[in-house]
Amino acid sequence: MFGNSPQPTPLTLLSPIKNGCSGDQSYVSLTRAYLQSLNKLPLSPMAAVPNTFLCRFYILNDVFFEGSPAREDHLQSKYLVFCSNFHGDLETYLRGFWQHANEHIRSAWRYCVGFDAVNDVTDFIAYIKKCMVKTTFYFNGSTGAPLKEQLKALYLKQELSAFVSRHQGDSPEKLRAEFMRFLACAQPDNLDGPSWAPGLSKLGEQQTTNSEVDA
Amino acid sequence: MSNIAGKSYAMNVITPVSRWWVWWNLLIFWLVKTPFMAKRLNGLRTLSLIHYARWVVLRPHQFPHLSDDQPKERLKYSYMLFFSNFNGSWTQYVDSFHMAIPGGLNLIWNKNIRYPKSVPLQPFHRYIVFNQIWTDHYYNAYPLASSNDIKSAMALRSALLEFSGSIEKLSDAEFYKAYKRFLFENQAYLGKMASSPVVSLADEAENETRRLNELYGRLDSQSGG
Amino acid sequence: MNTDYIDLDDIQGNIVKAYGRFGYPVARYLFFQFHELDEGRQFVESLLPLLTTSRPWFSETGLPPATTNIAFSYQGLKHLGLPTKCLHSFPEEFSMGMKARAKILGDDLKSAPEHWDPVWQNDKRIHMFMSINAQTQEALEQRYDTILTLLSRHGDAVELLRGHRGSEGDEMPYQEARAIYKHGVPTSKEHFGYSDGISDPFFKGSGGNPANLLGGGKPTRGNPATEEGWEPLETGEFILGYRDEAQELPMAPVPHLLSMNGTFMVFRKLHENVGSFNRYIQEVGKDFPGGSEALAAKMAGRWRNGAPMALFPTEAEANAFASELETARVKAKAAATELERQRAQEYYLTLRKKLTGFNYDSDIGGQKCPMGSHIRRANPRGCLEYGVKDAFATPGALDNRRRILRRGLPYGTVTDPTSDEGEHGIIFMAINASIERQFEFVQQQWINYGNDFKLANEKDPLLGNHHGNEDFIIQGSGPDNPPFFCRNIPRFVTTRGGEYFFVPSLTAIRMIACGLVDPT
Repeated sequence: MFGNSPQPTPLTLLSPIKNGCSGDQSYVSLTRAYLQSLNKLPLSPMAAVPNTFLCRFYILNDVFFEGSPAREDHLQSKYLVFCSNFHGDLETYLRGFWQHANEHIRSAWRYCVGFDAVNDVTDFIAYIKKCMVKTTFYFNGSTGAPLKEQLKALYLKQELSAFVSRHQGDSPEKLRAEFMRFLACAQPDNLDGPSWAPGLSKLGEQQTTNSEVDA
Repeated sequence: MSNIAGKSYAMNVITPVSRWWVWWNLLIFWLVKTPFMAKRLNGLRTLSLIHYARWVVLRPHQFPHLSDDQPKERLKYSYMLFFSNFNGSWTQYVDSFHMAIPGGLNLIWNKNIRYPKSVPLQPFHRYIVFNQIWTDHYYNAYPLASSNDIKSAMALRSALLEFSGSIEKLSDAEFYKAYKRFLFENQAYLGKMASSPVVSLADEAENETRRLNELYGRLDSQSGG
Repeated sequence: MNTDYIDLDDIQGNIVKAYGRFGYPVARYLFFQFHELDEGRQFVESLLPLLTTSRPWFSETGLPPATTNIAFSYQGLKHLGLPTKCLHSFPEEFSMGMKARAKILGDDLKSAPEHWDPVWQNDKRIHMFMSINAQTQEALEQRYDTILTLLSRHGDAVELLRGHRGSEGDEMPYQEARAIYKHGVPTSKEHFGYSDGISDPFFKGSGGNPANLLGGGKPTRGNPATEEGWEPLETGEFILGYRDEAQELPMAPVPHLLSMNGTFMVFRKLHENVGSFNRYIQEVGKDFPGGSEALAAKMAGRWRNGAPMALFPTEAEANAFASELETARVKAKAAATELERQRAQEYYLTLRKKLTGFNYDSDIGGQKCPMGSHIRRANPRGCLEYGVKDAFATPGALDNRRRILRRGLPYGTVTDPTSDEGEHGIIFMAINASIERQFEFVQQQWINYGNDFKLANEKDPLLGNHHGNEDFIIQGSGPDNPPFFCRNIPRFVTTRGGEYFFVPSLTAIRMIACGLVDPT
């Protein structure tokens, strides 16, 4: 189904965290505390980063010892691992990231090696490229279409289903009139019109613009 | 800290592979991308519960080294990092793969250190859990949508745009006929979405504790304490 | 494969036998609390001679007039003094109990535990389950009296819990169940009018009728109308201590003798909102092509007479089939000579295969049997491969480990088919090696959700925990027959109680009763 559709861009970063402490807490502990605090917010700061489909942060503490006869291995640094699936080219994405989630970037990467030299978007892009690791194999089980298209499609699926249900049994005249009204409200071709907001987690929450479809 | 964001689960796995066999792994991944092996992915596609998944094979020198202050890695093994965004619970995901495409799993993980093969299930479960790292923060742009929901929504929108572009000159009766045809052709895409079924009972643990305290408090007072 | 290694004498009978089908149309379910450890153990020990095993019955030896089986909740095992290490080796969902799992099961609103029968309110008191199935009401009462006599030896130390809601009030000491009778004969109907219990999983060593392999086993890539289309499921999906579909012995509590030949059982009292159901199929049936009977069939995936939609798309065909089947059955029974009987029986069995010998390969789009209909959800028969040839190692890869043995009977009588009030419904019991992987999974992912069927959040029309504003979509068959939306589908079934139980083997019961379980 999606053979010809755009592929998402995979981005995987391993950013080494400085060994050492700030006051009582280690840099890695402070980084983790910040990341976990994001789960208490109503919306992730990544929702503001355009075209982000799904992304995650985790701390790679160390590698696992599988048990004898495997050999014991250890990492010399801990890494902030960031993995994102998004639409578009890397630089555009990173610019959008810097512009719309600047505070979050500074908090998450604050204790990472070399991040103190990052002062502007150019520094940021260069820094990210140094932390990037190559994705060996990427499986796309969905679509790489721009996020706005996906959210619009989801919005339409929901609204169209409700419309079909509501108007089942209507006369052809009424149905046509209502359908034209539906199209005018839902604006299927207008990606900036009524849609689902990124990160929308409850139905009935405010959408990007007020939908008059159910009126 | 949670691996779950709406209908999606973030799984992170890291497993060691010997510095000789890592080349075999890289070869397998290269082959899977070729048209020759494309059919092998049928099982994966039919499972349909993955948004996106990726493998990153890192040889020791490939861990980012950004400054002289940062100690260089001195690893004996190479490492395979696996990231998946899938729908359903952890057990449903792992069980589905184990039952549906055990061969595919083995192809990818076979040379990883102490990998027990995907069949039987319990050693395989243990291997994954043991090597899994919990996500610190997970963001999902569409928590209310599974991979199936998105795929059907995209197909539906495409069909809707085509349909709405074709109806202007139709009479009401013709429109009605075309509308019915449009619904029939897209009937697989019309389900409505809502929140994910509850998979984690972490919150429930709190509620259950409160309920029991109340219940036993009542019982105590009934029997005179 | 020879399955003589399966010790049917040690396995309790309710596991392999659906008593209802053997001519045991009446039942009573009792729940006990142990107030004292020793008395509790002695009571359990005294029950041993009454317990029914899985040994096959033959008409020559005769069937016992009544059967008895027991099972324990986590709390029950604890109060019988099982060591902590054993208790902790039981699965998480079992130790939590069904009430604590309400969010997973979708038991909300009217199905929430606060609405359950009084006996279920304090779930920590439910220790032991007992079922009595009988051929006649008389035999039932006799067995019940025997039990009460045994119970009386323990005074207050072992309590038969009251609080079941029945037609005679809210404080009954047992849950009554019986087949729905028509013209004095028990039928397989439930209160919505469907023929129930047609398909049951067929597994290795069950000693069951081999004819039940068709449709009851796991699907192969062969023709489902014949034996080639099916293989028996592994025993370990339903009984602990035997190989399961994951090619290993299922996870089981320790020590081995405690769990071997045992299994887990889910007990649920499900009230049927008969008024809502009848009203809905009448009203919505007016607009649905084919009418209310067709609507009822589309929701279940079978016509109410039992004919599967996959093979009988129209009411006329379904009725013709049912009538032919009944005629053949009667003919086989009434045959004058042995030869005639054999021929008639063969013909009857050939017809009977059509009840279960099908899959959905020729109906991937759900045009005959809707994607979301009840039987398709509960037993996908390989349709989750979506017709992609050889996508999976086996067509049933995603179904084989989600099967449950269904036991139980309807309860109550419907006095007013226009009302939801009254005590009537189904006592639903599921037998499985893992409650979480089998029953809970089906309940949560396939009954109350639709993603695996690509139906977004749509629920099972009959059993789903509808909130009143959801639709059930019936796929259409052509451009002039578009999908039909069943709107604002009401909740037809509400939960009124239940719990998770462990059904031990006879050996394990003996050991529990004698305090011999030691995991060291």
